[in-house]
Amino acid sequence: MARMKFICDAERCIECNGCVTACKSEHEVPWGVNRRRLVTVNDGKPGERSISVACMHCTDAPCMAVCPVDCFYKTEEGVVLHDKDLCIGCGYCFYACPFGAPQCPQAGAFGLRGKMDKCTFCAGGPEEDHSVAEIKKYGRNRLAEGKLPACAEMCSTKALLGGDGEVIQSIYKQRVKRRGKGEEVWGWAMAYNRKSAKPEVKV
Amino acid sequence: MSGFRSKYAWKASPVLVFCALTLGLTACGEIDQTAKVDKIYAGKKDSKAYEGTKFAGDKAKWESALVERSKTQNEYIRTDVADVKKPNPN
Repeated sequence: MARMKFICDAERCIECNGCVTACKSEHEVPWGVNRRRLVTVNDGKPGERSISVACMHCTDAPCMAVCPVDCFYKTEEGVVLHDKDLCIGCGYCFYACPFGAPQCPQAGAFGLRGKMDKCTFCAGGPEEDHSVAEIKKYGRNRLAEGKLPACAEMCSTKALLGGDGEVIQSIYKQRVKRRGKGEEVWGWAMAYNRKSAKPEVKV
Repeated sequence: MSGFRSKYAWKASPVLVFCALTLGLTACGEIDQTAKVDKIYAGKKDSKAYEGTKFAGDKAKWESALVERSKTQNEYIRTDVADVKKPNPN
């Protein structure tokens, strides 16, 4: 099996926050923590685009590299998870992550930093599958039920795809072929020659 | 006097260029930032996703279940647009 991956199709995302709600609801994520959130550019202007962002389960995850207590691990499917019992809530992972995925609950009158919480790809954590401890600390383990992350399955426009990297890549490829555009948002030209790769905005 | 200055300035210029390049390029060196010690997970051991009651350790079954579920995200398979465009034979 390939690695588990997310991909968000900015052409389809309608900023409905369905993925955010699905995640909060599925895992009973505490107040003040959003494992998934939406980022919108050019809000209210022509060319507005939204993208759903959470932990991208990096191949070479910076959070793992900086963790002083080594509480991170990676599953066979490439899902980056962590042990909350070991986490000291230092927040290094938050600073290291380019996506701002790790979050520490700010519970308490003095803004105490709780143990880090982040997207688990709906794969739970290092507790017995479907146990009360697992649900309480990490949320539901949908992957062990043979299901995909709730955010991706809930997405009404199927902008957010999640699952086996090879499958979702083929779905996205098919979309690009059908609509005849979208290739320009990836690759060298987009990264290093933005002027020529800039998509036309029709008003 | 001006000729004297220009004569020595011309001779000194390669030295100045060398010094300038040496100083300027010192910032171009990249220090290796790779962690020298391998990070080893220190937490509790986690079971595999397919080791639960539903799949009972059958990895292949679990993988195929996930792949099939992933494919449902493709609405082109669920409702084939190409079929809609086909002319009605009747």
